Amino acid sequence: MAGSAAVLEDSSLLSRLDRTLIPLERLFALVSGLAVFSLMFLAAYSVSGRKFFNAPLSGYVDYIEAAMPLIAFMGVSYVQREGGHIRMDILIASLKGRALWLFELISVLLILVLILALIWGSWAHFDRSFDMSKPLWSRDSSIDIGLPIWPSKLLVPVAFSVLALRLMLQAWGYGRAFLKGLENPVAVPLILSVAEQARIEAEQLEGSE
Amino acid sequence: MDEITIGLWVTGGMLAMVVLGMRVAFAAAMAGFVGLVWLRWNGFDYAPDRFYKALEISVKVAGQVPHSKVSAQALSLIPTFILIGYLAYYAKLTSALFEAAKRWIAWVPGGLAVSTVFATAGFAAVSGASVATAAVFARIAIPEMLKIGYNKQFAAGVVAAGGTLASLIPPSAILVIYAIIVEQDVGKLLLAGFIPGAFSALIYAGLIISIALIFKNVGPPVSGFTWRERFAALPPALPIVAVVVIIIFFVYNPFGDAWGTPTEGGAVGAFIVFLMALYRGMRWKQLKEALIETAKLTVMIFTIIWGVLIYVRFLGFADLPGAFSDWITSLTVSPMLILVCILLAYAVLGMFMDAIGMLLLTLPVVYPAVMALNGGEAVSAADSTFGMSGPMCAIWFGILVVKMAEFCLITPPIGLNCFVVAGVRDDLSVQDVFKGVTPFFIADGLTIALLVAFPAIVLWLPSLA
Amino acid sequence: TEWNVSVWGKRRAFTEHIEKLAELVSEKTGGEFTMNISYGGLSNNRENLDGISIGAFEMAQFCAGYHRDKNRVVTVLELPFLGVENLEQEVAVSTAVYNHPAATEEMAQWNAKLLMTSPMPQYNLVGTGDPRDTLAKMEGMRVRATGGLGKAFEAVGAVPTSVTATEAYQAMESGVVDTVAFAQHAHLSFGTINQADWWTANLNPGTVNCPVVVNIDAYESLSDAEREALDSSIPEALDHYLANYGELLKKWDSVLEEKGVQKVEIDPAVIDEFRAKAADPAREAWIADMEAQGLPGQELYDLVVKTLAEAKGS
Ligand code: NA
Ligand code: NA
Repeated sequence: MAGSAAVLEDSSLLSRLDRTLIPLERLFALVSGLAVFSLMFLAAYSVSGRKFFNAPLSGYVDYIEAAMPLIAFMGVSYVQREGGHIRMDILIASLKGRALWLFELISVLLILVLILALIWGSWAHFDRSFDMSKPLWSRDSSIDIGLPIWPSKLLVPVAFSVLALRLMLQAWGYGRAFLKGLENPVAVPLILSVAEQARIEAEQLEGSE
Repeated sequence: MDEITIGLWVTGGMLAMVVLGMRVAFAAAMAGFVGLVWLRWNGFDYAPDRFYKALEISVKVAGQVPHSKVSAQALSLIPTFILIGYLAYYAKLTSALFEAAKRWIAWVPGGLAVSTVFATAGFAAVSGASVATAAVFARIAIPEMLKIGYNKQFAAGVVAAGGTLASLIPPSAILVIYAIIVEQDVGKLLLAGFIPGAFSALIYAGLIISIALIFKNVGPPVSGFTWRERFAALPPALPIVAVVVIIIFFVYNPFGDAWGTPTEGGAVGAFIVFLMALYRGMRWKQLKEALIETAKLTVMIFTIIWGVLIYVRFLGFADLPGAFSDWITSLTVSPMLILVCILLAYAVLGMFMDAIGMLLLTLPVVYPAVMALNGGEAVSAADSTFGMSGPMCAIWFGILVVKMAEFCLITPPIGLNCFVVAGVRDDLSVQDVFKGVTPFFIADGLTIALLVAFPAIVLWLPSLA
Repeated sequence: TEWNVSVWGKRRAFTEHIEKLAELVSEKTGGEFTMNISYGGLSNNRENLDGISIGAFEMAQFCAGYHRDKNRVVTVLELPFLGVENLEQEVAVSTAVYNHPAATEEMAQWNAKLLMTSPMPQYNLVGTGDPRDTLAKMEGMRVRATGGLGKAFEAVGAVPTSVTATEAYQAMESGVVDTVAFAQHAHLSFGTINQADWWTANLNPGTVNCPVVVNIDAYESLSDAEREALDSSIPEALDHYLANYGELLKKWDSVLEEKGVQKVEIDPAVIDEFRAKAADPAREAWIADMEAQGLPGQELYDLVVKTLAEAKGS
């Protein structure tokens, strides 16, 4: 199953655009990670408040629910850039050259269509919960302490828009590789053999022991 | 065309996209989305001007799912469990565990291999992910085994197999995912994982000891540690005990009231490991790396979750699971045979698919069928087919399925744990590891058979809570 | 015509009027108009109103307290200590509010039409340990109560603690909460009664309001016969619901006895004190909040009071 993969770089416009998008994607991923981190403190605070001070954190569940979209969506484009969304690549790994790029191109274009539809749909979901004329612009609120939900709903189309940009770059990359019959195209995740991939995964843990 | 037929076409299309290499999350979401449009448009008698209306409704229904499904309190356990695992590296818990296991139990036949199994089982108690466990122990345990003359392939097999224990013994991301998909009590499922996990470890150990007694080439026992040395090895491994105790006591306290909810338990466990990692020298640079890695794995899992749930929303409108359950329960074959066939199908599927993807794609249809087979969600133990109530059957099947998913991590051709072990060690090929891990197929087969035959192994602990 | 209906959980007393409605409508139209009731397959319970607005399904049930900002007007029915004594009165006040133009207009923004209520009895407390039968004993009490009810308990020094209904049992067992406020059927189906030492029989602090709505376009595109079948079945469906819930309430006392749960009668003076501390400020805050948003808060509250008086008089 494809985990992380290699993305090549050069001085072409495509590769420069690829590298322009990375800092944003990485920042978003870090925000995801920090949100996980904050869950940990939230629970520690809530439990100790309840156990030792008889002062449980009011709205604990509401805060968790507000944090979940932050965790779940912000890193979606970074993972796509790295080729980290899992797939079954037995078949596709046996392809080479143009045939491979064609399959990848079709796959990325399908995902792009899907994500554009989901940007529309998730924006509509946000829009139903948002009303400038209401207090806190809110037309949907959480169950216990009435937090407005629109900010967390807005994260979805935002994260998906970055993903759409990433998918366009990848479609460009695969399309270019298909037309030119390239061997090692830039700006797209290249399939690694499972063994190469395992080596990368193992190296990631290198520094920690 | 009726709804069931559309459901079957869409499901077939999804599987085709998966096989052709589309990312699983997006293939499922795409199938669900197209299915929703198809159902609506069909309802509108193919009038083209109504196509736009069908599209609009489907876009909005699908667009709701990611935010709505992901904002669930119980799902917050997944990132917390993943974070615990990453922080555990920085808390240097792995080498501490292996050292302690070695000093305490390496005197038995096949001693270092048995120690490795117990150390991986211990690490499983702070790690939610199997692959990471295998990678870490390949680096620590294999060299020590080779040093005293172990067969190279066997040493690698021990680590690859031991690594799988992380998904059964809590914290386990995959058990949480199962609980969410089938809407069962997360706490009870986590609790249910302990004994089968420990049971698997014992069966592995028994297998190793038998092999060591029969064949002399697996390596000698390691003895000669003084009691002082043994006790000295314990403190560095203590945080593991703390995490285990916390997670258990937050779910089920044998001496009184539980301490809180599983969500809180997971987060408090992570907090303790975090403090330990700080103490052992983790700083912002390592923490940032741990957070980004946590985010990557979490996002990967959540993307499959919401992707598959778009497909599940479509299934809700097409009522395919209902039809499948009706079909399964109408079969005249013995229910136990059907269950065994389902488990075998998972074994085959798991040879080619990732565990999480496999569970998420199949459970929405398979789980209701299994529950129907047992007599329904609300059936009492007395009226049921398998002799257990609906909720207990859900737990039992969950543990069986997760054990199958673990098994798939060491079966060829894509047993990920074997690839990881081979990747860490330059002197081992993937074939070597697969060869070394073969005896453990027997152990896993035996474990699964015993779990099927004696559900009490799974259900005893959760039935107390 | 075939309608999809989105509800949640399992079939229970709380959904019996919808089941009955489906049955009656199909009967009256000779099977021309049917309803597919889905328990959770079509939407999350907190997004049923969104689904109606989109047109994903034609009928749905939701509770006002799940998302106050989506349905500000009907939250008047969730104010604490309105004084509703039984389900018939609950139906009467709900119907009056549902027919008020402000409610109709707010729901129309969701493309929804209020069809009927799912009357719920008062949310009384179950708890462990000594009964919390004075305000002093409620000080620092961790209570699972949402929305307006949670605010009411907060006003007397209790701590509303948020856990989902499905987690309520475990929260009680683990001491995350000391008490849980539910209607009787929920105490039964979520198992909180099994943890309880006592139940307040007469605190009657308030309840939640859970309307059944239909998509306006779908309603208007029904044939005259179908619409007539639907409209005329509503009173019958509600009668069935009340009768069915009545049976459940009759069993309630024997359930308490069987589980050894003490029935706590709270001193009326204590209730008056509670009401003064919780209900009056909550009501005034609610009215001020609504009026500030241009909604007729005072008028709605007066309507509830007037309708309730009439219902009690009759
Ligand atoms: Na684990
Ligand atoms: Na495999």
